[in-house]
Amino acid sequence: MKKTVKFIIRHFILLFLSVIWLIPILWLFVTSFSGYKGINTSHFFPETWTLDNYAQLFFRSDSIVQYNRWFINTLVIAIFSCLISTILVLMVSYTMSKLRFAGRKGLMSFSIILNMFPGVLSMIAIYFILKTIGLTNSHLGMIIVYSAGAGLGYLICKGFMDTISVSLSEAARLEGASEAKIFWSVIIPLSKPIIVYTVINAFLAPWGDFVFAKLMLNSGVATDWTVAIGLFNMLGRSMINKYFSVFCAGGVIIAIPISILFVIMQKFYVEGITGGSVKG
Amino acid sequence: MKKALNTLGNYFKNFGIAFVKGDIWVKLSAVLMGAGYFARKQVINGIIMCLVEVLFAVLCIGYAAPNLAKFGTLGTVQFEQVFDPLTMTSTVNDYDNSFLILLNSIISLFIIFVFIVFYISNMKAVYRLQQKKENGEHINNFREDVRTMFNEKFHITLLTLPAIGIIIMNILPILVLVAVAFTNYDQQHMPPNALFTWVGWSNFKNLFTSSVTVTFGYSFKKVLVWTLEWAVLATFTTYIGGILMAKFINDKKTKLPKLWRTLFIIAIAVPQFVTLLLVRNFFADSGIVNTFCNSIGFTDFLKNIGLVPSNLSYIPFLTNPGWAKVMIIIINIWIGIPYQMLVATGVLMNIPEDQIESARIDGANPLQIFIKITMPYVLFVTGPSLITDFVKNINNFNVIYLLTQDVFVTSDQLLANSNAKEVDLLVTWLFRLTNEYYNYKMASVIGIIVFIICAAFTLITFTRTIKGDKEEEFQ
Repeated sequence: MKKTVKFIIRHFILLFLSVIWLIPILWLFVTSFSGYKGINTSHFFPETWTLDNYAQLFFRSDSIVQYNRWFINTLVIAIFSCLISTILVLMVSYTMSKLRFAGRKGLMSFSIILNMFPGVLSMIAIYFILKTIGLTNSHLGMIIVYSAGAGLGYLICKGFMDTISVSLSEAARLEGASEAKIFWSVIIPLSKPIIVYTVINAFLAPWGDFVFAKLMLNSGVATDWTVAIGLFNMLGRSMINKYFSVFCAGGVIIAIPISILFVIMQKFYVEGITGGSVKG
Repeated sequence: MKKALNTLGNYFKNFGIAFVKGDIWVKLSAVLMGAGYFARKQVINGIIMCLVEVLFAVLCIGYAAPNLAKFGTLGTVQFEQVFDPLTMTSTVNDYDNSFLILLNSIISLFIIFVFIVFYISNMKAVYRLQQKKENGEHINNFREDVRTMFNEKFHITLLTLPAIGIIIMNILPILVLVAVAFTNYDQQHMPPNALFTWVGWSNFKNLFTSSVTVTFGYSFKKVLVWTLEWAVLATFTTYIGGILMAKFINDKKTKLPKLWRTLFIIAIAVPQFVTLLLVRNFFADSGIVNTFCNSIGFTDFLKNIGLVPSNLSYIPFLTNPGWAKVMIIIINIWIGIPYQMLVATGVLMNIPEDQIESARIDGANPLQIFIKITMPYVLFVTGPSLITDFVKNINNFNVIYLLTQDVFVTSDQLLANSNAKEVDLLVTWLFRLTNEYYNYKMASVIGIIVFIICAAFTLITFTRTIKGDKEEEFQ
C-alpha cells in the first residue's frame, strides 16, 4: 500500500514538472493557431482557431514577413557552416589525439586559453574585419563567422578519439598505410558517435544563433535575414500586436525539425558528451 | 616558466649555430632563401622559398610600410568632401581611415612575425640539408617531400586550414580589440569621417572612476557583482537540478523514463530565441501570467506583503530590477535543467554499481548513498565542465539580452549615464555599448576585463584539463 502511494507521488511529481516545462511550449503551439494576431492576454487558449498564420508565413510574404527566404537562408548557412566546422574539428582532434609532434602540448594549452576568449567579445572586431572586406550582410560572411574558428572546439571529440585503441592504427601502419590513410579508413569510421554529436552541434549553433546574425545582417532588408532576426523583428514594439501569432507559427516551424532530430539523437548526444568529459 | 624560456633560448641558439657553422650556401640562404636548396639539387623547394621571399618583400613595400608608417598616429589627414557646383560632383580628399590603418598595421605585424619564424626555420632546414649531404644521407626529392606531408608531417597538413581559420576569426580580432582599448574610438571619433588616436591607459582609468560626468566605475562595480552572482547561481541551480532530475527519472521505480526525458528535451529543442522571446511575453506587465495572478488575487496578496509596489496593478516580472533578476534565474533554470539532465544521465549510467550495492548491504539509506557515493562520483567526472559552464554563464548573452532588451528600462540615472542596466551582464553591456552607442573603446576595455576573469577561472582547471595526464590511459 505504502509502495503504491509512493509510486503515485513519484509520477505525480514528474507529471507536474513536465507540465511546467511544457506550458510555454504548449502556449507557443496553440497561439500559432490563434485567429487574433496580437497577444491574447486574458486567455491561454485562443478564442478562434485558424491556419491563417501559417498561410501568411508561407504564401503571403510582405516587407516584414519573408519566412520562406529566411528559412532557406538559415538552412543554407547552417548546412555549410556545419560541414566546414565538422571537417575542421575532425582534423584538429585527430591531430591532437593520434599524432605526436613537437609543440603538441603547447598548442593544446594555447588553444584552450584562446577558447576562453568568448566570441561575443571579439565580434566587434570580427564585424569590422568582415566589413572591410565587404562580407557583412552576406551569407558567405555568416558561414565564415560560424565555421572558421571551429577548430578550437576539438576537446570533446579528441577525448573520444583518445579512447580508440592505438593498436588499430599501429597495425595499419605496419601494413604500410600512410597517416592520411589511417585517418580516413581507421579512425573516422570508428568515431561515428562523436561525429554525429559534432554534426548536430555544428548544425544547431548557426541554426539557433541570434547574436552574430543580429550584428552581421544589419542592412534592414528582410530578404537577407535569418529566421532568428526575422522573428525577433516581428516582436518589436510597433509590430507585436499585428504579428505575435505569426511569430508563434514561425517558432513552431523552426522547432519541429530540431525536436525530431533531438529526440532521435538523444542517445548519441548523451554518449558524445560523457565520452568527452569522462576522458577529457 | 623556466622550461619555456629554455625552449625559447634553444630556438635562437640553433639558429645561430646554423648560421655560423653553415657553409657558403647556408650563409647565402640568409639573403636568398632558396640558395641552400639549389646547392642540394632541391630546385623546386628552392624556387618556392625564393617566391615566398619575393612575395614578402612586395608585401612589405606595398602594404606593410605605408600602414606601419602611420601606426604611431593612426592617421593625420581628416576626411574632407568638396562639392564642385560646376561639375555637380563631390571630390573626397585622400583621407586617413584610422581603423583601416590599425587593422592593416596589426595584420602587417602579424605577417612580419610569421615570416621571421619561417625565416629562422628555413635556415635550420637548410643547415640540416648540409649535414645530411656531409653524412651521405639520402636527400628527398620533391615528390618524396610531398609524400611526407601525408606521413611524418601529416599534422602540418591537417592543422594548416584550421589554424588559418582560427587566426582570422580568433587571434586577429583579439589583437584588434586589445589595440582599440588604448584608443579613443567612439561615436565622436568614427572613421571615415573622423580620426581616432592612441590615448594610453585612460579608458582603463575611466572604467574604475566614478565622478559626476564619468559613471563607468559605479556601473562597472554593479554589473560585475551581478555578473558573478548570476554565474554562480545559474551554474549551481541548473547543475544540481539537472542531477536531481536525472536521478529521479532514471530511478528503477520510475516507469517509462525515456518518455519523461523526451518531454523535457522538447523544451530545449525549441531554439532559445523563440522560447525566451515567448516567455518574455508570457511574463509581460500586461501579459497572461499577470492577468491570471490578478484574477486569483495573487497580485493583491504580493502588494499587501510589500513585494510589489502599491502603485502598480501588475507584478513587474521583468521590469523591476529585483523581480527581473529573480525571474531571469528562474527562467534560466527552466532552460538549463533539461540540458544538464542529459549530461548527468550519461554520467549516472557509468556509475560503478557495485559500490552502491555494497553500501546498500551495509545499511546505507538512499540519501546517504546519494551524498556519499553518487555526488562525489558525479562531481569528479563533471568537475571541469562545471568551471566551463561557469565561464559560459559569465558570457551568457542570450538569456539576458532576449529577456530584457526593449523591456527593461533602468531608473538609475548613474547606470543610464554609462548605458548600463541593473540586469546587464558584462557581455550584454558590451554588446549594447557597441551596437547601440558605438562606444568601442569602453567595450574593448570591458572585453579585456571579461577575458581576464574567464582566464583566471579557467586556470583553476587548467592543469587537469590540458596536462592530459590521463589521455594515454584509455589507448
